[in-house]
Amino acid sequence: MNAECGMRNAEPSPGIKYGLLAEYDTAAAIMHAAETIRDAGFRRWDVFTPFPIHGMNDAMGLKNSKVGWFSFIGGATGYTLGMLMIWYMNAHDYALTVGGKPLFSPHFAFPPSYELTILLGSFGAIFGMLFLNRLPRLHHPLLKHRRFARATHDGFFLVIECTDAKYSETETRTLLEATGSRHIEVIEE
Amino acid sequence: MSTPNNTAAPARPLDLSKWRTVPNIAIGIGVVLTALTAFTNYRQFSFSWLLAFMFYLSLVLGGLFLVIVHHLFDAGWSTPIRRTVEHIACLAFPWMAIFFLPILLNVLFAGPENLLYEWMKRDAHTDHALHAKQPLFTKAGFYIVTAACFLIWTFLSRRFRSLSIAQDASGAAGFTRTMRFHAAWGAFGFALTLSLAAIMWMKALTHEWFSTMYGVYYFAGSVWLTLATVYVITMVLQRTGTLTAVLHEHQFYFLGSLFFAFTVFYAYIHFSQYFIIWNANLPEETFWYQLREQGTWWDIGLVIIFGHFLVPFLGLLRIDAKVTFWWMVPLCAWAWLMHFADLSFNIMPVLHPGGFVLHYADLGTWALIGGVLAKVWLKDFADAAPYPLRDPRIKEAAGHYRIVSQISGGELDETDGLVDGGIHTKGSSCE
Repeated sequence: MNAECGMRNAEPSPGIKYGLLAEYDTAAAIMHAAETIRDAGFRRWDVFTPFPIHGMNDAMGLKNSKVGWFSFIGGATGYTLGMLMIWYMNAHDYALTVGGKPLFSPHFAFPPSYELTILLGSFGAIFGMLFLNRLPRLHHPLLKHRRFARATHDGFFLVIECTDAKYSETETRTLLEATGSRHIEVIEE
Repeated sequence: MSTPNNTAAPARPLDLSKWRTVPNIAIGIGVVLTALTAFTNYRQFSFSWLLAFMFYLSLVLGGLFLVIVHHLFDAGWSTPIRRTVEHIACLAFPWMAIFFLPILLNVLFAGPENLLYEWMKRDAHTDHALHAKQPLFTKAGFYIVTAACFLIWTFLSRRFRSLSIAQDASGAAGFTRTMRFHAAWGAFGFALTLSLAAIMWMKALTHEWFSTMYGVYYFAGSVWLTLATVYVITMVLQRTGTLTAVLHEHQFYFLGSLFFAFTVFYAYIHFSQYFIIWNANLPEETFWYQLREQGTWWDIGLVIIFGHFLVPFLGLLRIDAKVTFWWMVPLCAWAWLMHFADLSFNIMPVLHPGGFVLHYADLGTWALIGGVLAKVWLKDFADAAPYPLRDPRIKEAAGHYRIVSQISGGELDETDGLVDGGIHTKGSSCE
């Protein structure tokens, strides 16, 4: 947590600071800005563009998503639960012979277990994604900013949160200016 | 996983000249072991030869499939590796046809005790299973299917390669359209002939048995084997500097993804076949699997479940695993071993019902056919350009993109060249 973060401005705007918003004209400009911010060692920042820019993951230094682990654990849980459930119901709790087959066999238990693998795997993916993105949330500070609406039209935005350890309102602003941003301003919560 | 390092040009091109003699050694050993068995234990020789033949047929048909599927999807990423698979597909004729001769000679001349296909000495009037499979399971049916298979494979593989090489010279887009036309009908011809070949040459060893999934089962294993092989070949060609100019990380990523997909697809098909037979519990179907539960065949079955599916599945699951060479190369070698075990599981219990036997004839026939095909492939590859030089899609594959996306295949990865710099009108139309 940065010392400047969360401090109230002087009256008459009593907002809590969220971060610095920098606007760029082109996809190439914001891509190079992202590379600069990545190399400067910032961690709590993001980029908003009207369309996906391929190569941005690399420019931002984003590593492979951890969602896969949630999905994997969900899938493994689903498979184990499915097998256990069928064993419990067919072989243990209410043993019933059908067609002379064994009371439990991994063969007939496989399709439902496989389906539970997929179900809990996808639950792991969706809820893992929501958890990692800290969603759902009812409001985001950027949404009340009028210019930011253009992120869905023709605006390319880069936001550095003031909770970043490297954040400093003056130095970070200078850094963003050096990357060629044509419009930088402080965002309040 | 270590950081993948595939896209960088090799510091020093790999020198493979000392490996040139390997196919010759394989042929030498193969000829000795094969001849020895052919004269001392003809029945073992016939089965070993069929196993080796079906193994390499997998590779060749897998290659043909990758060419067809490239054209069907109008793929960009696989253009640099297409020449490699075109040559693999072209091994179908004359070489795979020549290697079919021992099987044909067995059908033509072998006595009743040595005949590979037992149904050929049965009478359809007294054998219901054979009667139900008339007229396919007649000698005439066998010859017609064999001829049709080699005819279609030869025509398709030769046509794809000659059109592709002709395009190297002229660069005309018409060749691509013609190849796409042949891919469209060829997909059907391929599916039909591959299924018939798997049924007539492999499944017919026990003609009483039937499985509607048998063709696609052989297909799944075949493409799996080919993808593993093509991955290693592409990696070697990248290290030797042959394909470095047109290869990027995503070629390896996509090959690895397809390898992963076919790992799952094979397991899905084989499990479905087993599950349906297990559940229906009909004696005329279950006997096939019962035979494969005797002795060490039971263990081979487990090796296939864990080695053919679970190990590669977990090994290929991570995104970065698919582009990490020291991880992928052992997995690809493992795929060869597993496909051999899989085909052995299909063919050999007829000869050795008591359990798995690794006979030296298995290794001999395998080395002989493999050695010859390797020599032919190397010669073919040296005789033409290493990749389709003037394919309309080659620039897309070879462009100096920043390849990081696993989704786009690189088409949109260049941002510096986007034309949005100068003509930007700041939202004037909306405000």
